[in-house]
Amino acid sequence: MKRLLNLRGALSLATACVAGYALYASWSWPFRTALFPRVIALPILFLALIEWALSVWGSEKEGEGHAVDFQFTDTVEPALARKRTIAIIIWTLGFLVLILLVGFPLAVPIFVFAYLKIAGQEPWTLTIALTAISWLSMEGLFNRLLHLPFPEGLIFGLWT
Amino acid sequence: MKTLMVIFVSLVLFFANAPSYGASLYEGKTITIIVGYKPGGGYDRYARLIGKHLPKHIPGRPGVIIQNMPGASSVIAANHVYSIAKPDGLTIGTFNNATVIAQLIKVEGVRFDLTKFAWLGSAASDAVILSVRSDLPYRTADDLRKAKQFVIGTTGPGSSTHDFPAILGEFGGFDFKLVPGYSSSADVMLAVERKEVDGRAGSYDSIKPFIDRGLVRPIIRNRTSAPGIEKLPVDENLATSQQGKLIMAVNAVPTQIYRPYVAPPATSKDALKILRDGFANVLKDKELLAEAEKGKMTIDYVSPENALKVVSEVLGQPPDVVKALAKHIKFGE
Amino acid sequence: MLDAFIDGLFIVFQWQTFLMMLLGIFLGFWVGLLPGLGGTTTLALMLPFIYQMTPVEAFAFLLGMHSVVSTTGDITSILFGIPGEGTTAATILDGHAMAKKGEAGRALGAALMSSLVGALIGAFALALAIPVVRPLVLSFGAPELFMLAIVGIAFISSLSGQGGRALLRGILAGLLGLLFALVGQDPQAGVLRFTFGQLYLWGGLDLIPVLVGVFAIPEIIDLAVRGTSIAGELPRENLGRGVWVGVKDTFVHFGLTVRCSLAGTFIGIMPGLGGGVAQWIAYGQAVQSARTNEERAGFGKGDIRGVLGPGAANNSKEGGSLIPTIAFGVPGSSSMAILLGAFFLLGIMPGPDMLDKHLVLTFSMVWTMVVANIITVVVSLFFLNYLAKLTLIRGTVLIPFILFFSFIGAYTSNNHLGDLLVLLAFGFLGYLMIKCGWPRAPLVLGFVLGRIAENNFYISTIRYGPSWTLRPLVLVLIALSVIVLFFPFMRFKGRPLAGGNVQ
Repeated sequence: MKRLLNLRGALSLATACVAGYALYASWSWPFRTALFPRVIALPILFLALIEWALSVWGSEKEGEGHAVDFQFTDTVEPALARKRTIAIIIWTLGFLVLILLVGFPLAVPIFVFAYLKIAGQEPWTLTIALTAISWLSMEGLFNRLLHLPFPEGLIFGLWT
Repeated sequence: MKTLMVIFVSLVLFFANAPSYGASLYEGKTITIIVGYKPGGGYDRYARLIGKHLPKHIPGRPGVIIQNMPGASSVIAANHVYSIAKPDGLTIGTFNNATVIAQLIKVEGVRFDLTKFAWLGSAASDAVILSVRSDLPYRTADDLRKAKQFVIGTTGPGSSTHDFPAILGEFGGFDFKLVPGYSSSADVMLAVERKEVDGRAGSYDSIKPFIDRGLVRPIIRNRTSAPGIEKLPVDENLATSQQGKLIMAVNAVPTQIYRPYVAPPATSKDALKILRDGFANVLKDKELLAEAEKGKMTIDYVSPENALKVVSEVLGQPPDVVKALAKHIKFGE
Repeated sequence: MLDAFIDGLFIVFQWQTFLMMLLGIFLGFWVGLLPGLGGTTTLALMLPFIYQMTPVEAFAFLLGMHSVVSTTGDITSILFGIPGEGTTAATILDGHAMAKKGEAGRALGAALMSSLVGALIGAFALALAIPVVRPLVLSFGAPELFMLAIVGIAFISSLSGQGGRALLRGILAGLLGLLFALVGQDPQAGVLRFTFGQLYLWGGLDLIPVLVGVFAIPEIIDLAVRGTSIAGELPRENLGRGVWVGVKDTFVHFGLTVRCSLAGTFIGIMPGLGGGVAQWIAYGQAVQSARTNEERAGFGKGDIRGVLGPGAANNSKEGGSLIPTIAFGVPGSSSMAILLGAFFLLGIMPGPDMLDKHLVLTFSMVWTMVVANIITVVVSLFFLNYLAKLTLIRGTVLIPFILFFSFIGAYTSNNHLGDLLVLLAFGFLGYLMIKCGWPRAPLVLGFVLGRIAENNFYISTIRYGPSWTLRPLVLVLIALSVIVLFFPFMRFKGRPLAGGNVQ
């Protein structure tokens, strides 16, 4: 429970910092440019600090404060959930890094292949078929048909 | 003897093929036109129109594709074409004509030098005008001088809707009240119709439909003329000071190279010649002109030499003049 | 006017027009379904082709495509939790939640039917309103538009959840969204705000990367954690057969569907409000229709009304947004801007004539949208069952594709790697918000309305001085925003609503 509280505290504190930064940045702006940022950031700072105080010292009743939103599944035990969460975050960031390294068009089939094989442990035929589909849609649709500009991966930049 | 014959024949064949060197340069290749705005906007439409007809005018009939690289009023695209795109003659860029202003007032993030681009020219020039709502009594510039607090809606500093009347008001002796913040120039037109504002400035091409409809009346223009508004008073002639006149002149420069087309700086001379000829010819292409007419897009070829001249003149201004300019001419969305 | 009404319908059914419309529908179906194929990008690409068509054929094609995009965008939102379009994000909240409970079929049926009802009501409301629509739009100036943005922001109280703590977080989220909206070049002085020296941020944060990040990324994380298919391990009665249950739901809650359709039409008619707003206001209305505390708590977790409201609104607003485009030449959204380009291309001048001399053309456009929607819904109903079964696929197979489409969907906003960074940053934020119980809807609402509020505020103040606050319409809207703001509390304190107040 305390860990959860710390996360809520951290988010509200971070929000307060964002608001604080906004106020600081608006210092040198002309009046009209600065008005709305200040009018918005000031209450954020104030309310975020209240939220922070409440999350550190207050107690959170179970039914109270339910946001109009979903909540993460709790049918999986916490340790496994944490492991899987970290895994998917790493995969997602890895996708981004892959895009930076080899460029979008290559990164997509490589990522699909890697995820299906390593994380999904899917059989070879399915993996290859799905990789081919992803490569086709990437190359065919987004590259050839729509001509989206994709920067070259950093690895290729090293060559020249 | 036989060997000599072979050599002779091959030499003949080689020289016979030489004139189509250009063809081999572009044959089977694809030219990319990079547009500094999202699809659907003015620059994009011009690029797609030109891209459609360009292959006919380049030996080897290469394919042409359009790539959109929006962001920072096309500064991102300009930066890209300047330093990242390969100068192999297969990339052309088109972006905001006001980038010359951006470079002049040293906007942060500008990493190009317009004088070093390999210019192809400009596809159009466009006048900037100030228009007033038809039901208002002002018909001449002098009438307008008598008006108190004439309200002009704008989209924000850095656009022609804003800078043109701002400078005109300050240096022409007019009492203008500028109301910035409209999300697009079309919204300003709606505000005119609502009688929320009294007038709107901006590109003649975009205001013309509303003039034809009878909603507004053009009253003052900048030095770039266009059919139908030649007789309007020019802002520079209304300036009350020498400095004002200069600022207006500099502000008018972008409109003379309204749809600029360039290639990356180090593009080879051969490729550049082919591209320049192709560009000049495509703008005389009958089909292109017919389509442009239908789409109400004016075509007005400006040669690369003229474009470069115009740009260099602006960028060659002494620093104290630049300082004064920067106070009144901005760069923005 | 009645003959124009009927003639317009006949034009739609001439075979060339009809064929063009079918082609547009087919294209629009895929465009809405696939995130990354924005309706705007594809419309722009189609523009050169319509050179060859007659005006009526061209509009049938463009409008056929355009009308369908919101409907199929709902499908992706429900099935995978990725906003297929910027206008269908609200459907994710309850729609995808239902998919996770094995009720994908029901959600799809409801979304499709409400989309159809929304389109129909929008079209007919529009047709009826044509005589008054010009004076209506002309009387809504900057002060009124500012107040409309305030009314929209007031919905934050309904979107937050119950209890003081939830409201606190909802307001924080809303204010944060407003702050994020201010990133970019300010239109008053041209100063760059919060851009940290990045050229990419000059124009501000784009809606799509933010939306896809805030909504899709947390869903992907959740899916990975659960380790199952989207539909999970629960019994799946409402999966396939549920489609008809969903369709019926539209009529069970007909009042809500109609209200949201009318709200969507009105928002579409108002130039400058943008397409992303209607769905959230509809969602707010749906939440407000809850009768007890428990019901309200169910929103965001699979209440069918959370699908009906946005589903209806984002289709009805399409009809509404035709009006500023054709009657004033002011496009109501970016796709309308392209339609406007088509107008000029074909030599037609938008303006009062469209509601007068060219009324038949206008009506044919309205009818095109109606017929296109009907066709789409009828055809889709046939294979919704199969679509719903997609939620039975293993999560591990779906995740790489959902990530792929999220990334490419975000990337096509600006074709810039910055889009991906924004996607991930907001994905992280969305994840934290859910973990800490902060509602996401107010964040998006604030983000969508921030600029509209600020710009119109300054236009009003500079143009009119402080007296704009006393304009009659403004006063009405102030009252409306107060009602909207305090509505949740009025409802649940047990007190009867103060006499004379509308619900």
